[in-house]
Amino acid sequence: MPYLKFSKILVISIFILLATFSNAEIKPTLNVYTYSSFTSDWGPGPKVKEAFEKECECILNYVALEDGVSLLSRLKLEGKNTKADIVLGLDTNLIANAEKTGFFAPHQQQLKNSSLPEPWTNETFIPYDFGYFAFVYDKNILKTPPNSLKALVEDKNGPKILIQDPRTSTPGLGLLLWVKKVYGDKAAEAWRKLSPRIVTVSKGWSEAYGLFLKNEAPMVLSYTTSPAYHVIAEEKLNYAAAEFDEGHYQQIEVAGLIKSSKQQVLGKKFLSFIQSETFQTIIPTTNWMYPASLSSDKLPEAFGDLVQPKQALIFNDIEIEENRKKWVREWLDALAN
Amino acid sequence: MKIGIIISLFLLAFIAVPLISLFGASDLLSSQKSTIAEMWNSTYFRRVVFFSIWQAFLSTVLSISVAILVARAFTRLPRFPFRHLILSLFGLPLVVPAVVAVLGIVSVYGKQGWLPLGENLYGLTGILIAHCFFNIPLAVRLLIPTWDTVPEQHWRLASQLQFSSWQQWKHIEWPALRENIPSIALLIFMLCLTSFAVVLTLGGGPRSTTLEVAIYQSLRFDFEPTQAVILALLQLVICLTVALLATRFSKLPDVEPNLNSHQNINQVQQSLGDKITQPLFIIFATVFVVSPLLAMFIDAINGPMLEVLTDGKIWKATAFSLFIGLVAASLSLFIAWFLLNASAEASIKNKPILSQSMLLSGSIIFVVPPLVIGTGLFILLSNYVNVFDWAIGIVILINGLMGLPFIIRTLGPAIRQHKMQYNKLSTSLGFNAWERFKHIDFPLLRKPIGLSAALVATIAIGDLGVIALFGSPETTTLPLLLYQRLASYQIPQAAVTAAFLLAISLCLFWLLEKVIGGKHAEH
Repeated sequence: MPYLKFSKILVISIFILLATFSNAEIKPTLNVYTYSSFTSDWGPGPKVKEAFEKECECILNYVALEDGVSLLSRLKLEGKNTKADIVLGLDTNLIANAEKTGFFAPHQQQLKNSSLPEPWTNETFIPYDFGYFAFVYDKNILKTPPNSLKALVEDKNGPKILIQDPRTSTPGLGLLLWVKKVYGDKAAEAWRKLSPRIVTVSKGWSEAYGLFLKNEAPMVLSYTTSPAYHVIAEEKLNYAAAEFDEGHYQQIEVAGLIKSSKQQVLGKKFLSFIQSETFQTIIPTTNWMYPASLSSDKLPEAFGDLVQPKQALIFNDIEIEENRKKWVREWLDALAN
Repeated sequence: MKIGIIISLFLLAFIAVPLISLFGASDLLSSQKSTIAEMWNSTYFRRVVFFSIWQAFLSTVLSISVAILVARAFTRLPRFPFRHLILSLFGLPLVVPAVVAVLGIVSVYGKQGWLPLGENLYGLTGILIAHCFFNIPLAVRLLIPTWDTVPEQHWRLASQLQFSSWQQWKHIEWPALRENIPSIALLIFMLCLTSFAVVLTLGGGPRSTTLEVAIYQSLRFDFEPTQAVILALLQLVICLTVALLATRFSKLPDVEPNLNSHQNINQVQQSLGDKITQPLFIIFATVFVVSPLLAMFIDAINGPMLEVLTDGKIWKATAFSLFIGLVAASLSLFIAWFLLNASAEASIKNKPILSQSMLLSGSIIFVVPPLVIGTGLFILLSNYVNVFDWAIGIVILINGLMGLPFIIRTLGPAIRQHKMQYNKLSTSLGFNAWERFKHIDFPLLRKPIGLSAALVATIAIGDLGVIALFGSPETTTLPLLLYQRLASYQIPQAAVTAAFLLAISLCLFWLLEKVIGGKHAEH
């Protein structure tokens, strides 16, 4: 009788369910909250875990959330009950907001050989990698990409673009800040000019990049490091990032230690490990970003061919925290009306 | 009936408690609370509300109208070639994660697609295409069983009176459908109202913003749980209003329905016009639904199949996904069984409001975004236990409850009719509950039970919203794996993973319908 088999499956399933709940551990565990592309098989996560566990006599346990923004909101939701010891994956847009929560302890680290363009002064978070936003295009399809943000905005016959929504995506917010940095008070006007050439505004980076690879538009908002993936992993040389004269907006990704964590010593060890050559050399070909403390001669060859922005554009994190909502509303009004 | 009321209360609590716990959390945290009045006065907000309802309304009307034509054609052509395969394929779109569906639709209608719409795709057109892709097949699957409930005598009479196609529709089919269409329409309306990634990406820009986007936004960058709760409540109110309208419109058939589906629709005369158009409806719908799916499979064949399929991770994720799907489906069926029986009993005892309320309590869970329920539960539970130890249980529970609205449509009408016919018989035989289920209920209801299990299990397999909240790398499901690949440039690999997810879901759907539903499950 088939339904008897079905009930058997049910009973067995319940047992498996119960079995998964009992999980004994002896070594100390360091809980690291991060985003899921960090912990995936092809991300830095597994290699970092293996390397750190070799020297720490501990278990490194990841909790993988959707992205940097969900890390912060999750932390706020959990409050004092948080299981996190380390949060890895916040970026410069979130730092001020994260510090305001008071959940993080000062890092108390000596910063080692920083490769960031500007000296790092924040005392709570340790940077582990950085990148620049850029419009990526296919050289076979687009022969003459715009050479500045102004050229992209002003040229009515310019290439169509795919971008992400600043309300839901980090690169989307990055572009919003980039335009703000270049245009200041005239940002809304710039968005209105650009509007007819925006094919669509996607929820996240994946959708826009996927549409770009399906040739829905000749340019997509991504990172200067994106072409390196296609060169190293796919041996495709036809993708490039357009270099803009005004400079490129910068994103720095950071990690911090939770104040209430019981693993203070282990946590500090991890923050120091983040700056080690072991960790830093894993980053370029797994997270596809620039490591934050590694000399450039140790980067993979394909990184040498990438666009080197003339200037790293970035807002002070407090300025972002104070204005983000206002600027997003301005963006909405410019594009939705 | 008592058990039904208890379940209803549990379901309501399951929605209310996370909302309250979110509300509580916001008092402590959000510094700048925006008031309801302030929200009402903003044009942006009013536009979002209007657009959410408008696109959901259009999508629902379009999906249901097309689905009626297609389902009608299917019932008239029981021997249509590959009928069973087509109907199994119709179970697939609901499994497809939104990102993948968008890419599939773009493969067909995009700039370089088979039927290029160019940039006209982005806007209301794209949204409607995507929503029809998701909902026409669902509505067809849910509508077909309704034709089985038409008593054989009706068709015989129609044949004797030589009813035209229109007369058959007006006097026989429409009255039978009137019971089910409002509730199916409500389900589709809710699915479209809460649609998110599809609307944002194919909608072309912030002009196409739904309430769901606003909820997501307020729980993320803005971190204003109060606002999220208010928006979620508003979404709930909209759905309850529509539900109320739907029950007004709904009318139970006047005659005793027939469950012994020996009815033969083919004894009625088919006009020449019908004979030509019916197969065309089926072919059109099949091409519409299958082409984006086919595009996904073609992408997969061109992708690195070996690399992806020999990776152990995909098999581990498959096992885990299947486990979640099957347990969630069992749980969902278990709860639905008692709820639907209680509702049917109330209906027979002439308590229509109680009966409808029970069904509604099982339906509205859908309207509260999983992000809200999950986050609310998370805050609540993290006060008492280590939530991560309970992640699998919570994921299964939420997915199981999310399946209820589907089972209510598939199994609900059948149980009600079944109860009307066999209640007295089983009481007089003195069966206990289990004997009754084994000898009377199951043999007659196995078809809708099979369809329900298949639907809920595949939907749970495709879930991304709930599992992503807990994010333990050990509990990676197929959609999560797919998403991780997409997020790390591995788009060809993601295409293979997507096709694999579809293939697994298709097998499962077919198997569950066959094993539980029995031999003639497809009819």
